[in-house]
Amino acid sequence: MNGALVRRDAALAWRPFLLIGAVLAMYAGVVTSMFDPDLGESLRMMMEAMPQMFAAFGMADPGSTLAGFLANYLYGFLYIALPLVLILLLNSRFLVRWIDQGSMAWLLAAPLSRRKLAATQAAALVVAVTLLCLWIAGLGLGFSTVMFPGELDMTRYAVMNLGLWALLQLLAALCFLAGCAVPDSRLATGAGGGVCVVFVLVDMLAGMDEGWEALRFFTPLTLYDPAGLAAGTAPLWPAAVLTGAALILYAVGIAVFCRRDLSL
Amino acid sequence: MNTPVIEIRSLTRDYGRGRGVFGLDLTVEQGEVFAFLGPNGAGKTTTIRHLMGFVKPRAGSVRLFGQDCFAHAGELHRRVGYLPGELALPEELTGAGMLAFLAGLRGWKDERDADALARRLELDPRQPIRRMSKGTKQKVGLVCALMGEPELLILDEPTSGLDPLMQNRFVDLIGEARARGATVLLSSHLFEEVERTCSRAAVLRAGRLAAVQPMEQLRRSKSRRYIFTFADPQTAAAAAARWPQARAEGMRMTARVQGSESLPALLALAAEYKARDLETHGLTLEESFYQYYEKEARI
Repeated sequence: MNGALVRRDAALAWRPFLLIGAVLAMYAGVVTSMFDPDLGESLRMMMEAMPQMFAAFGMADPGSTLAGFLANYLYGFLYIALPLVLILLLNSRFLVRWIDQGSMAWLLAAPLSRRKLAATQAAALVVAVTLLCLWIAGLGLGFSTVMFPGELDMTRYAVMNLGLWALLQLLAALCFLAGCAVPDSRLATGAGGGVCVVFVLVDMLAGMDEGWEALRFFTPLTLYDPAGLAAGTAPLWPAAVLTGAALILYAVGIAVFCRRDLSL
Repeated sequence: MNTPVIEIRSLTRDYGRGRGVFGLDLTVEQGEVFAFLGPNGAGKTTTIRHLMGFVKPRAGSVRLFGQDCFAHAGELHRRVGYLPGELALPEELTGAGMLAFLAGLRGWKDERDADALARRLELDPRQPIRRMSKGTKQKVGLVCALMGEPELLILDEPTSGLDPLMQNRFVDLIGEARARGATVLLSSHLFEEVERTCSRAAVLRAGRLAAVQPMEQLRRSKSRRYIFTFADPQTAAAAAARWPQARAEGMRMTARVQGSESLPALLALAAEYKARDLETHGLTLEESFYQYYEKEARI
């Protein structure tokens, strides 16, 4: 880790972080306020009316607990899609843009090994995703404490946030690898982001219709089941798999960056 | 014998369609100010990218201070100040921010002599880079490369965008670097600046080394035109008849002198015919090199 580079990363990251953080806070507030402990019969009726639509967005079972409710309406889609936007922005600012604009020459000309350089940027991304997850977890905790004190099952809530953290780390690692490996830096962001978006879409398709069920083997999002974690029916080991995969992708990304020709 | 500071052995990197470098061999010793000369696309920047460890040689080897440029890039850069040909300074920073960032990357507590360098180059580093002119950005780049008195300076087209006054300052700065024992490699397509700063020059052409010569020798091979004006056309013609290959045109005589050995004789001749005016036209190194290129092309 290089201190100056970390400070540069922080300076480049805080604006998009605040923006996405604010949007997330808005959604968290609105959705949490919609929870009705006596359960929205209406919601259940709506779901029965158009089950595919709800299933596509990971809202299979509205659930009667607050954790289950949040899992369905936030953790199934919004908390994946919005953080993905931030991940793409940050990966571009930490890595891709330096290469694309040629200013990477200044970094490479500094007395830093490429390994250290790439590892610093990977670590910055890991930390940013972790901070975002803490923010997300804090939002739910804050809003539910204010609006529905005592309703949130802390253990299950913690577990479903942990799962989200693991999934987002995997998506971030994928984007990082694309940034390191795709020779055309303009394509790099598109490639990383594209793969992640395809994963999300495939997950939506798989959830929507029984006929597409088999698709769930083609997306890592299957390894994160927020509703199951909230209900206590899903195991936590998939989160370990996601984290492990993320670590491997980061390591591969750093290794590729170390070997790569950079015609700056 | 000391390890050479720069050692390039049969470096080859083919980018296709004749671009790249092919079988380049070159050694630069400590304390030399060495120039890469050549037109655009001759392979100057490609060679520098190899020296900086940005790209790996396809064949051959590139070493700085005896160590492989790619494998040991991180450690080597502690001793190197680098100015990229394409500046690409992060637009969102101010000049001062960039200097502080670079000092931080180098692990320094402060910017060392950056302030003094900025003053020498008349650079106000407080403005945002995105609002700087090309010349001002070039100054920021130069301060970035020169600060901290590195042992080796690798400068890709260092004076591009600088006005003549600042080019002079740059020449002074290089002179000082040389005086403290630093080694300098600079690339240029401007023969004038090379003539004023360098002790030895390599001429690159289409990725191949066309010549490596001490500056003194290049200067000697450089020729000059002297144009004298006489009282009348007859005098001019008479004077021209006594100097090999001199031409008379009206009252003017044009004579060419290579090196400086025969200059006194020419001046004596002109004095004898009571010349009234003298103009000199330097055939620049550029013209000399083009003569060189032409010679090569004919072979």
